[in-house]
Amino acid sequence: MSINETVVLDVELKSPIERVWHALTDSATLSKWMLFKSNDFQPVVGHTFQLRDAPGFDGVIDCDVIEVDKPHRLSYTWATGGESDQQHATVVTWTLTEAEGNVTRLHLEQSGFRSDARQEVGGAKYGWTSMLDQLQSLLAPA
Amino acid sequence: MRDVYSAVADPTRRQLLRLLADADELPLHEMTAQARMGRTAVSKHLAILKEAGLVVDRKAGRETRYHLNATPLREMQDWVSFYERFWTERIDRLKDLLEEENE
Repeated sequence: MSINETVVLDVELKSPIERVWHALTDSATLSKWMLFKSNDFQPVVGHTFQLRDAPGFDGVIDCDVIEVDKPHRLSYTWATGGESDQQHATVVTWTLTEAEGNVTRLHLEQSGFRSDARQEVGGAKYGWTSMLDQLQSLLAPA
Repeated sequence: MRDVYSAVADPTRRQLLRLLADADELPLHEMTAQARMGRTAVSKHLAILKEAGLVVDRKAGRETRYHLNATPLREMQDWVSFYERFWTERIDRLKDLLEEENE
């Protein structure tokens, strides 16, 4: 089976493109918004990195940098759950476009979801939902 | 009905779900033994899982037996909608962060 599906999100940020690029590619800044408290990201094509230590999620996300076109395009693979899940790795691509008034249009695509992968039930998914839940309670107004 | 997401947010409840996923049906005492937890704690968690529709119980003679109902988990198996949620939350946080920097 090879039916792919894609997650697409678009957002406008009131920050200059360099700042947005920095937030997407600076390891310390990434850890502030990516939920994973530690990462060894480097904006270098071919660099392999991991996202670790998310609250409630005991797994690791394995990534591989595919494309770095500062400050316009960044792409990396995204695999959860270790070796057995490598075949279900998806690709995360960020595209940044400068707009008027120091606004940056940010476009996110995550592609490569296989329809058969959706049939699986694994520990990683329980972990993910736990993480989302904690995130929601964190963001909920007190 | 309780939200499935909050029901599975707790590691103990995920452990109980895994126990039930590996067996057709389990009575309380077997779950307390396998989970190495007290009766009261296990019962409390099972009640929450029941409210979320993840666990169904039935009387068998003098004991109550529990089994997994995986139907509510289907929503969570949908990676696409899962990641839509995930990235929306992440980008919101990124937005906040950039705005904090602007101040």
